Amino acid sequence: MNTSWFVVLSAFIFCIGAAGVLTRRSPLVILLCLELMLNAGNLALIAFSRMLGNQDGQVFALIVMVVAACEVVIGLGIIVAMYRRRLPIDVDAMSELRG
Amino acid sequence: MPFTIHLSLVIFLPLAAALIAAFLPARIGRWVVVAASFGVLGYAIAMLVDFDPNVRDGPLRFVTDENWISELGIRYQLGVDGLNLFLIALTALLWAPATLWSAVRMDERRKLFMFHMALGETAVLGAFCAQDLALFVVFFDLMLVPFYFLIGGWGTGDRVRATTRFVIYTLVGSLLMLAGAVALGVIAADGGELSFSFAVLEQRVVGEGTQKWIFLLFALAFLVKAPLFPFHGWVVDTYRSTPTPVLVVLSAVLSKVGVYGFLRIVLPILPDASEYFQELMLVLAVFSILYGSVLAFSQEEARLVVAYSSIAQLGFIVLGIFSLDDKGAQGALMQMVNHGLVVAPLFFIIAVLSARAGSAVSLERMGGMALRAPVLAAFFLVITLATLAMPGSPNFVGEILILFGTFEDNLVYGLVASTGVVLAAVYMIRVFQRAMHNRLVPGDEPVDLGGLELMAIVPVTLVVVALGVYPQLMLDRTEETVATKVEPAGTLAAERLHPEISVIR
Amino acid sequence: MNPTTYGWLVLGFPLAGTLVVALGWRVLPGRLPGWIASGAIGLSFLAALGMLFELIDRPEDSRALVGTAFNYLDTGGMEADLSILVDPLSVFMCLVVSGVSFLIHLYSISYMTSDRGFARFFAYLNFFVFSMLLLVLAANFVLLIVGWAFVGAASYLLISFWYRRATATAAGIKAFVINVIGDVGLVIGAFLLFDATGALDYVSVFERAGEVFGSNDPQLVAACLMILVGAFAKSAQLPLHTWLPDAMEGPTPVSALIHAATMVTAGVYLIARCHPLFELAPAAADVGAIIGTATLLFAATVAMAATDLKRVIAYSTMSQIGYMVLGVSVAAYGAGLFHLMTHAFFKALLFMGAGSVIGAMSGVQSLDRMGGFRKAMPFTFVTFTVGALALAGFPLFSGFFSKDEILAYTLNRGGGYAVLGLVGYVAALITAFYAGRMVFRVFFGPAVVEARELEQGTLHHGEHANPATGEAEDTDVGFPGPEHHIAEREWPMKAAMAPLAVLAVVAGVLGIPGVTDTFEHFLEPTFEESRFATTAPGDGEEWLGLAAGGVFALVGLGAAYYYLLRNPELRLATRKRFARLHTFFVNKWYFDEIFDAGIVRPLRRSGQFGRTVVESTFVQGVIVGGTVGLVRAGTSFARSIQTGELRAYAALLLLGMSGLVLYFLIVAT
Repeated sequence: MNTSWFVVLSAFIFCIGAAGVLTRRSPLVILLCLELMLNAGNLALIAFSRMLGNQDGQVFALIVMVVAACEVVIGLGIIVAMYRRRLPIDVDAMSELRG
Repeated sequence: MPFTIHLSLVIFLPLAAALIAAFLPARIGRWVVVAASFGVLGYAIAMLVDFDPNVRDGPLRFVTDENWISELGIRYQLGVDGLNLFLIALTALLWAPATLWSAVRMDERRKLFMFHMALGETAVLGAFCAQDLALFVVFFDLMLVPFYFLIGGWGTGDRVRATTRFVIYTLVGSLLMLAGAVALGVIAADGGELSFSFAVLEQRVVGEGTQKWIFLLFALAFLVKAPLFPFHGWVVDTYRSTPTPVLVVLSAVLSKVGVYGFLRIVLPILPDASEYFQELMLVLAVFSILYGSVLAFSQEEARLVVAYSSIAQLGFIVLGIFSLDDKGAQGALMQMVNHGLVVAPLFFIIAVLSARAGSAVSLERMGGMALRAPVLAAFFLVITLATLAMPGSPNFVGEILILFGTFEDNLVYGLVASTGVVLAAVYMIRVFQRAMHNRLVPGDEPVDLGGLELMAIVPVTLVVVALGVYPQLMLDRTEETVATKVEPAGTLAAERLHPEISVIR
Repeated sequence: MNPTTYGWLVLGFPLAGTLVVALGWRVLPGRLPGWIASGAIGLSFLAALGMLFELIDRPEDSRALVGTAFNYLDTGGMEADLSILVDPLSVFMCLVVSGVSFLIHLYSISYMTSDRGFARFFAYLNFFVFSMLLLVLAANFVLLIVGWAFVGAASYLLISFWYRRATATAAGIKAFVINVIGDVGLVIGAFLLFDATGALDYVSVFERAGEVFGSNDPQLVAACLMILVGAFAKSAQLPLHTWLPDAMEGPTPVSALIHAATMVTAGVYLIARCHPLFELAPAAADVGAIIGTATLLFAATVAMAATDLKRVIAYSTMSQIGYMVLGVSVAAYGAGLFHLMTHAFFKALLFMGAGSVIGAMSGVQSLDRMGGFRKAMPFTFVTFTVGALALAGFPLFSGFFSKDEILAYTLNRGGGYAVLGLVGYVAALITAFYAGRMVFRVFFGPAVVEARELEQGTLHHGEHANPATGEAEDTDVGFPGPEHHIAEREWPMKAAMAPLAVLAVVAGVLGIPGVTDTFEHFLEPTFEESRFATTAPGDGEEWLGLAAGGVFALVGLGAAYYYLLRNPELRLATRKRFARLHTFFVNKWYFDEIFDAGIVRPLRRSGQFGRTVVESTFVQGVIVGGTVGLVRAGTSFARSIQTGELRAYAALLLLGMSGLVLYFLIVAT
C-alpha cells in the first residue's frame, strides 16, 4: 500500500476540520472540528509508523488521543458553564479578553 | 564577629518571610514579616558595628561572589563598602517602622500588602548590595513591580492614573538604562572577556564618545528616579495617592537608588562623560533646588510641600555629586541618608496630622495642634529643623560639605544653591506653623501621639539627633570609598580648570 | 582647675537645665521649673567667674586656651572639632550673658507665673542661654554657626511663645528667616576663609590670614562682608533689621534677654572676634562702620516717633547696637564691648521696668494711654529712670562712659570717620530726647485710670488683648496668663531689677579714661595685635568726647522736659509742621513695605506661576503626557491584534503555521 494515499486523506480531513474551526460559530461544532483535525494527525502518524516499521508513531497517536480527551473535557466544561450563565453559545460574542 | 554575615541572607530574608506568611493566617503572618524586617535591621546594625574603617583587606566587605550567567559574564556579586553601608542601614531602619505601620493600620488585603512591602525591601537591598551591573539592573527594575501594585491597589484618589504615569515614566528610564548597561558591558569588553562586574568595568577604558551617550542613558534613568526637574512629573500624583508606609519608603529610600547609581556606576566608570556633562548636571541640580523650593511654599497640601522639598533636596545631592569634589560627594552621600531619615518621620507625622484634622490634607484646615499634642509638636519641631538643615543637625553637615565642595570650583552655582537653603527654611517653618500654631480649627479634636506612632517616629528622630551630635561617625566610614569613586572624574575636572597645577589627591 | 574645664561647665549647666525642665515638665510642680532653670544659669555664672579667676591667674601672654571634646567633622581637608576657646573676650561675653540671664530668669519666675506654658518657657530660655554661650565659646567657625543657628531657633520659639497669636507666629517666622539669611552668609564667609587658609578654627585662620591675604584682598573683603551679613542679621542692623520690632510680640523677659542683652550683641561679638580679618580688610570694616552709623540714626528717629513703649525700647536697642557695631568697626574694641556690657545692664532694666508698667496697664503697651505712674509705682519709677538716664548718657552714669568713648575714638580716627562721629553725636541727642520722652510720658503728667487705681492699692484688671490688633487673647488656654504682675508686688522682680539699676549707675567705674582702665586692660590680650592700638585717643581727647556727649545728653533731656511737660502745645504744633516727616518715622522709613513688595510678593507670585503654568501645562502636559502618549501610541498597534475573537486567533495561528511550513518546504528543495 502506498503511504501517500493515507497522507493525502489525512491532509484532506485536516483541511475540512480547519475550515470548520474557522467558519463555524458554535463552540460545540468547533470542538468537533478540532477532533477532526486531531484525528487527521493521528492518521498521518499511524501511516508513517507503518511505513517506517516501528511503533513510535502509534504510541504517539495514543498520546494524542489522551490529549484530545482532556481538551474535550475542558472545552465541554466551558460550554456548560456558558450555558449555565445563560450566555449566548457563540464564539463571536465571547470577546472580553480584548486588549 | 562570631558569625559571618551573608548578604544574600540579608537581602532575601524579607521575601522569604513574606512567602512563609502567605501560608499562615493573616493575623499571625503579618508579625512574621514584621519580625523579618526587624531581623534585617539587626543585621544592618551588626554590619555597622563590624565595619572598621581602619581595617583594609580589600575595598569590599561581606563579599559574595558566585558565577551566575557565565556566558554573558554576569556574576552574582554582592558587597558592602563605605558607599552603600549607610544606605543599607537606612533601608533597614526605615522599612521596619513602615512594615510595622502596615501590619497594624492596613486592613485591606493585608497579607498581599505586606508581601509587596517585603518584596520591595528585598529589591532595594539587592540594588544597594549588587556589585555587578546586570544584577543591579535586575534589582532596579524589580523595585518597580511591588510599588506598582502597592500604589495602584491600595492608593487613594486618582491612583490608577498616578500609578500608570509612575510606572511608564520609570520604565522608560529603566529601559534606557538597560540599553546603556548592555552597551557598556559589550563595548568595554572590546573583544575580550565580557564582564559586568563593577570592579572590572572600572579598570576598563571606554572611548569618550561612547561614554557620552551611555552617560545620557544612565542619567535619564536616575534623574527620573530621583526625581529632578524636569523629570519630576510623576511626583505630584503619586505622592498624593500613595498610602503612608509606601510613601515613606518611596520617598526616603527608593529615590536614593538613582543618585547612588551616579556615585557607584557613572562617576567611576564614565569619568570623561561625567566631567563633560558636569555643567549640565549642575544647572539641572540648581534649577531643581530653586524650582522645588519655590513650589514647596506655594502648596496647600502638606504632602506636596514635602514632595517638592524632596526635589530640592535631591537637587542638592546631585549638586554635591557633580561638584566632582571629595567633600561634595561625601556631603551628597550623607544627605542621601539624612534626607531619608527626616522624610520618614515627616510623612508619619503628616499622616497623624491628617487623621487628627479629620482626614484633611490641606494646610488651611489644620492649626493649633501644639496645645493638645505637645509631644507631637516637639518631635515635629525637631524634624522640621533637621529638614531645613539647621546647623546642629546632620543635614547641615551634609549641606555644608556639598556647598564647600561646590564653592571650590563652581562658586556661582554654589551661591545660587545657597538661596535654596533660605527658601527651605521658609517653607518648612510655614508647614510647622500652619499645623501647630495659631488658632485651633473648629471641629478638631487633636490627641497626642499613640504607641504605634511613637514607635514609628521616635527611634528615627533619635538617630537624627545622634548623627547631629556626632556626624563623624558616618564621615569616617565613607570618606575613603567616596574619594576613590570621585577621583577619576574629579581629576579630569581639576585638570580642565587648573591645567598648570598637577593635582595630587 | 583648667579654665577650659570651667568652660565646659558653663555650657553644661544650662544644657542640663533645659533637659531637666523639658523632660520633666509634667511632673515638676508649681514654680519649680523656674527655680531649676534659674539655678542652672546661676551655676553657669559661677563657673564663668571661675573661668575669669583662673584666667587672670595666668600670665598675660598665655590667656587663650582651647579645649576639645571630640572630632565633629573631619573630611576632605575640612576639620572642625567640638572645641571651645577661652580667652578674655569669650570670658567677658560669658559673664555678661550668664549674669544678665540669671537676673532675667529671676524676673520671669514672677512675670510668667500664671502662664500655662511656664515650664516650656524656662526650657526654651535655658536652651537659649546654652546656645548663646556655645556661640561665644566656640573655637571654630562651624561650631559658631551651630551656636548661631541654635540661638536663632531659640529666638523663634520664644518670640512665637504665645503661639495662639497670629501676630506672634508671623513675627517668629520673620525673625527666623532673616536669621537663616545670616546663617547662609556665615557659611559662605567661612568657605572663603577656608579656601584661602585651609582651616576653620579661629587660631589657625587668624594666624594664616596675615600670610595669605594682602591688604583689602578681594576674597578677604568678600569673606568679611559675608560675616557682616551674618552679624547684621543677628544684630538687627540695616537692612536686615525688620524682625526686631516685631519680635516684641514675645513676653517681656524674652525681649529683655534676647533683644537687649544677648542675642543682638552676637553680631558685635563676631566682628570683635574676627578683628584680625577686618583689620586686613579695611573696606569691609568701613562698610560695618557706615551701616552701624546709618542704623543708629535711623533707629533713633523712629524711636522718637513710636508710640508703643516696647517698640521704643526695641528701636533704642537697634540704635545702641549701631553704636557698638560702629565701635568695633573703627577698632575701638574696648569701647564697643564696654558699651555692650553697660547696654546689657540698662536695656534689660528698661525692659523689665516696661514689663512692670505694662502689667499695671493690664497689657496695654501704648504710650498714649499711659501717664502719671510716679506715685503709684515708686520702685519701677526709680529703676526705669536710672535705666533711661544711663541710656541717654547722663554724666557719670555707665552709658556716659561707654557710648561717648566710642564716639571719642571715632572722631579721633579722623577723615570720613569724623562725619560718622558727628552723626553719632546727633543721634545721641535724639537718644537723650526719646529716653526722656519715655520717662516723662509714663511717669509724669496727669495720672491715668490705672495709675490712680494703683495708688489706691488695686491693680487694674483688664482683658488681655493683642496690643497690635486689639484682638482678644485666648487666655482660656492659659497664656498669656490672666494675672498681671508689677515689680512693686513681686520680690523676684525687685531682686532682679535692683542689681541692674546699681550696675547701670556704677559700671562706668570700670572704664573711666585715665583713671581705671580695668576693662580695656582685661581685654588687651585678645586685641594686642591690633594695628590700631596706636590710634587710640589720649586721655584728654577721651574726656573731651565724653564731655561733648554729656552736653548733648543734658540738652536732649532738657528738650524732652520742655516739649513734654512744660509746653505740650508746642509739641503738637511741631508735629503738625513736620507732619510728613513724622509719618515717615512712624512708618519706620517704609522698610517693611519695600521688602514686602520687593521680595515677598514676587516670590509668592513665582510660586503660583510655577504651580499653574510650569507644572500643569509644561511638565504634566508636555513631558509626562508626552512620554505616556508616546508609549501608548507605540503599543497601540500591538493592542489592535488582541481583538478577543477566537476565530481571528485561530486564523492567525493557521496562517502562521502554514507560512512556516511553506518556508521550510521551499528551503528544503
